[in-house]
Amino acid sequence: MAINKYPRQQATKQIAVFLILQFIIAAIMMGSWYGLSSYLEPWLLALSLLGVFMLFEAVAAYLVSVVATKPIRDVVNALLYAYSDKPFDKKSTVVELVRRLHAEKEPEEGITTETAYAQSLLDHLPIGIIALNSKREITYANKAAPTRGGGKELNINFTDNDSLTGWLDGVVGNNISSSHWWKRLRQVNIESEDKRQFFDMLALYQQNGDSAIETILVSIDRTDDYSTDEDDLDFTALAAHELRGPITVIKGYLDVLRQELDLTADQKAFFERLDVSADRLTTYINNILNVSRYDRRHMQLHLKDETLARVYKTVGDDLDLRARTHHRMLNVNIPEDLPNIAADRSSLSEVIVNLVDNAIKYSSEGGLIVVSAKPTDNFVEVSVQDNGIGIPGALLPHIFDKFYRSHRSRENTVGTGLGLYITKAVVESHGGTISVRSDEGHGTTFSFTIPTYASIADKLAKGDNSNESVIDKKEKKFIKNHSLYRG
Amino acid sequence: MDAKQQRVLCIEDDRFIGEMYVRALNQAGYLVDWVLSGNDGLAAAKSKDYDYILLDIMLPEKKGNEVIEELRGEKDLIPNAKVLILTNFDEDDKAREALQQKVEAYLIKADITPRKLLEIIKEL
Repeated sequence: MAINKYPRQQATKQIAVFLILQFIIAAIMMGSWYGLSSYLEPWLLALSLLGVFMLFEAVAAYLVSVVATKPIRDVVNALLYAYSDKPFDKKSTVVELVRRLHAEKEPEEGITTETAYAQSLLDHLPIGIIALNSKREITYANKAAPTRGGGKELNINFTDNDSLTGWLDGVVGNNISSSHWWKRLRQVNIESEDKRQFFDMLALYQQNGDSAIETILVSIDRTDDYSTDEDDLDFTALAAHELRGPITVIKGYLDVLRQELDLTADQKAFFERLDVSADRLTTYINNILNVSRYDRRHMQLHLKDETLARVYKTVGDDLDLRARTHHRMLNVNIPEDLPNIAADRSSLSEVIVNLVDNAIKYSSEGGLIVVSAKPTDNFVEVSVQDNGIGIPGALLPHIFDKFYRSHRSRENTVGTGLGLYITKAVVESHGGTISVRSDEGHGTTFSFTIPTYASIADKLAKGDNSNESVIDKKEKKFIKNHSLYRG
Repeated sequence: MDAKQQRVLCIEDDRFIGEMYVRALNQAGYLVDWVLSGNDGLAAAKSKDYDYILLDIMLPEKKGNEVIEELRGEKDLIPNAKVLILTNFDEDDKAREALQQKVEAYLIKADITPRKLLEIIKEL
């Protein structure tokens, strides 16, 4: 399709007219300085202003003409970021172009030059533009838009807790207009990992009575930026592999030696301390790996029909040992008649390990740590309570931040500042919430909720098929959860 | 232990770790063959009828996922064996899920002591 050259020619002509006009005005003004009568000056001012307006118009026209032929990725990115919190203007050029293109889909006469130009312009843009109607069907997508199925479907892999459908469900009927950004989105289907692209996406919803264009999606290809992070992720995985090797050897040989040697009570206690220290290292490595995966949207939870008791059992022995070697009392009270939860056993067990480990770190010798659980509506609430040093009120809002460690904890206890960050991320990825109550000097209670299996299964049954993969229905006897067998 | 001794093939290139598993398994009454590369592992798995195969992923010559692909790709050449992947490498979800379809267990070595490994083998 040929690009209509008219706007560029017009822009060039306008800039030329502007320059000539400014030259004439400057000449007249110079004349007035040298004694021409002063009554001409208001007219000269008006002429100057007119010139400035013409300059703006000319520059705008020139920019539009450049858009069609040259990448303006940086300009467009900057504009989109700057205006991301504003609802889109129904009369804006892009929306108007999309509207015209949609209208031309079933043309009675041939495609007009103007529409051909608009089509070409949008297809040359390095950003994707997609229009959804009120039934959430794609009514228009330009060439750069990540679609599949002949442009009928979005080829974007949203997370279950932050999907376009979920956002629209919350917005439609409740808001007149709204916008939302997603960062680091991946495609659903690709031919090979090398061809993987990453997108940032902006959704603009407007309840405007135009059923053909209710939501505009703007996607920006950020593959270059994010693929560097992917290399970092590979490095993290390799580094973790190297770190885990020696831990495997230390833990394994301790186990072998313990069985082969006749140890005194003291020596047994020393062996246990070595065990606990190796386990702590494992926890840190797992936290680093999980944070890396979570931040890059690689962490996928496989929610299954679980009981809290089963999840706890996978780490119970390990936590008993940790508490015992640090001279803490660990009291676990998980009622047998709790409803089943929808949980990823491995990830949730790490949540419990992080919270109990924190309770051990921030309490004193002989302190009591209580793990308890109760049902609340569609959730099971789990609490980990200690009688330790507590957290000052001013610091509470920050404790779930990445790398956050209070001044005092930096001095007195070891840690990476990742434990609570990933704990919150995992709980929220389950669809639950986490909260903390603390009385400085008297102790802290962390509570988190996890949805019951029944509530999640119902919700998924109503959703589209793609969500069903969240629930792993396989009955095959299969051991995949390494945390099951924490030694 | 059953009257007939059960056979285990351990494909592990780290000598410290391999020796540790072999020692624990021998003491528990298993007959263990230990090889240090993917190619040797593949040849051994094809040549004998093993009850269990412990398979590392990061192996010299041939990676563990290639070994399992050859053993259980188009045709299951080891229908009587139970395969346990034992790795410290954190595969991404897709690669891990693909592997999990073909094996009986997928374990992180750093989380498993020899004692726990024996418990898992008995459970399978």
